[in-house]
Amino acid sequence: MMASLVICFFGVVLFLAHCEVSASSDQMCIEKEANKTYNCENLGLSEIPDTLPNTTEFLEFSFNFLPTIQNTTFSRLINLTFLDLTRCQINWIHDDTFQSHHELSTLILTGNPLIFMAETALNGPKSLKHLFLIQTGISSLDFIPPHNLENLESLHLGSNHISSINLPKDFPTGNLKVLDFQNNAIHYLSREDMNSLKQATNLSLNFNGNDIRGIESGAFSSKVFQSLNFGGTPDLSVIFSGLQNSTLQSLWLGTFEDIDDQHLSSATLQGLCDMSVESINLQKHHFSDFSSTMFRCFAQLQELDLTATHLEGLPSGIEGMNSLKKLVLNVNKFDQLCQINAANFPSLTHLYIKGNTKKLHLGVGCLEELKNLQKLDLSHSSIEASDCCNLQLKNLPHLQSLNLSYGELIGLQREAFQACPQLELLDLSFTRLHVNAPQSPFQNLHLLQVLNLSHCFLDTSNQRLLAGLPNLRHLNLRGNRFQDGSIPKTNLFQTVGSLEILDLSSCGLLSIDQQAFRSLDKMSHIDLSRNSLTSNSIDALSHLKDAYLNLASNAIGIIPPHLLSILSQQSTINLSHNPLDCTCSNMPFLTWYKENLQKLEDLEETVCANPPSLQGVQLSDVMLSCGITAVGIFFLTVFLLLVSILLILAIKFFIRWKYQHL
Amino acid sequence: MNGFTAALLVWTLISPFHGGRGELWPTHVACRNEDLEVFYQSCDPLQDFGFSIDECSKKLKPKLSIRFGIILREDIHELFLDVQLSSKGSSILNFSYPVCEDDLPKFSFCGRRKGEQVYYAGPVDNAGFEVPEGEHQVLLKLYNENGSTVACANVTVICS
Repeated sequence: MMASLVICFFGVVLFLAHCEVSASSDQMCIEKEANKTYNCENLGLSEIPDTLPNTTEFLEFSFNFLPTIQNTTFSRLINLTFLDLTRCQINWIHDDTFQSHHELSTLILTGNPLIFMAETALNGPKSLKHLFLIQTGISSLDFIPPHNLENLESLHLGSNHISSINLPKDFPTGNLKVLDFQNNAIHYLSREDMNSLKQATNLSLNFNGNDIRGIESGAFSSKVFQSLNFGGTPDLSVIFSGLQNSTLQSLWLGTFEDIDDQHLSSATLQGLCDMSVESINLQKHHFSDFSSTMFRCFAQLQELDLTATHLEGLPSGIEGMNSLKKLVLNVNKFDQLCQINAANFPSLTHLYIKGNTKKLHLGVGCLEELKNLQKLDLSHSSIEASDCCNLQLKNLPHLQSLNLSYGELIGLQREAFQACPQLELLDLSFTRLHVNAPQSPFQNLHLLQVLNLSHCFLDTSNQRLLAGLPNLRHLNLRGNRFQDGSIPKTNLFQTVGSLEILDLSSCGLLSIDQQAFRSLDKMSHIDLSRNSLTSNSIDALSHLKDAYLNLASNAIGIIPPHLLSILSQQSTINLSHNPLDCTCSNMPFLTWYKENLQKLEDLEETVCANPPSLQGVQLSDVMLSCGITAVGIFFLTVFLLLVSILLILAIKFFIRWKYQHL
Repeated sequence: MNGFTAALLVWTLISPFHGGRGELWPTHVACRNEDLEVFYQSCDPLQDFGFSIDECSKKLKPKLSIRFGIILREDIHELFLDVQLSSKGSSILNFSYPVCEDDLPKFSFCGRRKGEQVYYAGPVDNAGFEVPEGEHQVLLKLYNENGSTVACANVTVICS
C-alpha cells in the first residue's frame, strides 16, 4: 500500500515536470528596446501575443503563422512604424487591416503566398514609404491596391511572375525613387510601360535577372534616371539599342558566374555613344576584341568598373577619357602596375586594383601621370616590394588614402612615403613589413591620421618606428608581438603623443610597464583585449580619463583596491572573458563592480572563474558576505560576555582566597 | 492501481519532448557513385535544405554543377562560405570563400532577400581535385555580412 502510494507520487511528479518542460519550450518575443522594438521571429505564433506592449514601433514578426490578416489582427499596436511579416503564410489581406496604423512607414510581406489584397488593405498609414512584396506570387501589377500609396518611395517586387511593368493608370508614382523588379519574367519593355512611370523623378530601376530580349525604341528617352540595373542580361546589344537617347547617372550591366552570356564586342559598346551616362559597371564580362577603339564611347564616363573582366592590361593611346574620376580594376590578371597605362586617365581621383589574381609588380612611377589621385587601393594583390615606396608611388602629391594590405612583403625605406606627403590614411595590415631599425619609415607624414599596422610582423622594439607622425590619431597594432610579451618604459609610443585610439589586441602581452603610455595623454580609446594581461597592467592607464577601455579576454583575476580609482575615471570598461575571482580576497572590486554597472560593457560575459561553486555566474549576480556577519557579531558578543563573567568570577574567587589566607 | 501508475511512469519516461528539442535534421544523400558517396545533414537548428551534386566522382571536376534549394533566413547581399575539412577527428584545412560581396556579387542570387525561397542550379567556383581515399568530414557554413547563419551543413565524404 505504502509502496504503491510512493510510486503514484513519483509518477505524478514526473508527469508534472514533463508538462512544465513542454510549456517552457514556447518562447516569448525578444525585447530589443523596451516598449519600442521587439523580435517575435520563428515562434509559431498565430496572433499578436498579449505580452507585446501597445507602444511597439518596430516589430519583426517573420516566420509565424497568419493565414489571414484583417482589421483586428494588429489593431492593438497603433504605434507601429516598421512591420516585418516575411513568410507568415499570409493568403489574405482583408479590408482596413492597417486602418489604425497611421505611423506605419515600412511594411514587409516577402515570401507570403498572397491570394488577394482588398482595395482598402493599405489604407490607414499617413505616409507608407517602403513596401516589400518580394516573392508573393504576383503576376500582374493590378494585384496591388493603388490607394494611399502617394508617399511610396520604394516598391520591391522581386522574384514574382511579372511580365510587364505597366503600372495601372491610377497607381501613384510621384514620390517613387526605387522600383525593384529583379528576377521576374520581364522580356520586353515598351514605351507604354515606361510611360506609366512618367511622374517619378530620379528613379532607380532594377531589372537584374530578367531575360530582357527587347526594348522599344525611345522607351527610356523621356526621363532622366538615377540608375538602371540590367545585370545578368545575356544579350547586352538589346539594352544598348533600347537605351538610345537616354540620360542616366548609373548603369549596371555586369554578369554572373552562372549566366551564359555573350562576349562583349566594341561594336556593342559603341551604343554608349548614343546615351548619356556617368557611371558604368561591366563586371565579369569577357571582351571579344579588346583595344583602344572599345573605349571610344567611354569618354563621357566619370566612373568605370571593370571588376573581374579577365584583363591582363589596358591598351595605351585611349583618347578622350578626361572625365574619368573612378576606375575599378579589381580581380583582374595584371602582371605589372604599369600595364594599366594610367596616362589614359589623367583626371583619376580613385583607383582600385584589389584582389588581383596574380602577383602585382609595382614597377617604377607607373602612376606618375595621375596627379589628382586621392585614393589608391592595391590590397589583396600579393604585392612584394623590397625597397618601397618612393619610386613605386612616385609623384602622387594629393594621395590621401593608400591601401596596401594583404600583400606578401613590403620593405620600407627611411621616409618611405615622401612621394605622397598628404596621406591621411595608410593601411598596411596583414602585409609582412621589413623596416631596418632604427629607421622611421613614416617620417614626415604630417597629415596622417589613421595607420593600420595590424598583423604586420613588426619589429616593435624599433623605438623610432612611429617617429615623424605629429597628427596620428588612430593606430592599429593588433597581432604584433612585443619582446618578452611586455611593453617596457621606453618604447615606440613615445613619438606619437597625439594618439587617441590605440588597438593592441592579440599582441600576446603579459605585462605593461607603468610608465609605458605616459606620453599618450590624449588617449580616449584603448583596446587591450585578447592578451594575457593581469590587473597590474591597469596601472599603466592611470593618467587616462573618460576613456573606453577594453580588457576582455585577458588573465585578470583579482583587481586590488588601489587600481579601482583608475577604473572609476574611465567612461566604459570591458572586462568580459577574464578568469575573475569571486572570493572575499576580491571583495573591494566586486563591490565596485556592482556600484558601477553603467560603466561596464558585455555584462553577460563577465563571469566568475573562481571558486568552482560560482563558476560561470555573472559578476553582477554574485552575492558574497565577507568579514563578520550579524550572526557572527552576536556570537562574538555572547562569547565576550561569557569570558568577562568568567574573568570577574575568577578575580572574585582569587580575592576571596587571598583574603582567606591573609 | 499499481498497473496504472506503472504505465504512467513508463509513458512519462518514453514519450518524446515537445517542440523538436534535441531532434536533428535527417541525413541526405548529395550524390552517390561507385567510388564516391557524399552525405549531408543540416546543422542549422531552424531548418533543413536540399542539395545535390550533379556528377559524383573521385576526381572532382572544376566548376562542378550543383542543385541547391533553401529558404533564406537572412538577406544575402553579402554571403560568405567557411569550409572546415577534417579527417579522423583532426582538422586538416580551414578556408573562407566570398560568394557575394558588395563590390563583387559573383552569382545571380546575390542580393536576394530574407524569406525568399531560392533554387540554384548551376556551377560552383571550385578547383578540380582528387578526393583521397577514406572517410572525411566537412563543415560548411554560409553566413552573411552580419555573421548570421544562412545555411550550415555537416558533410561526410566517403571515397573508396
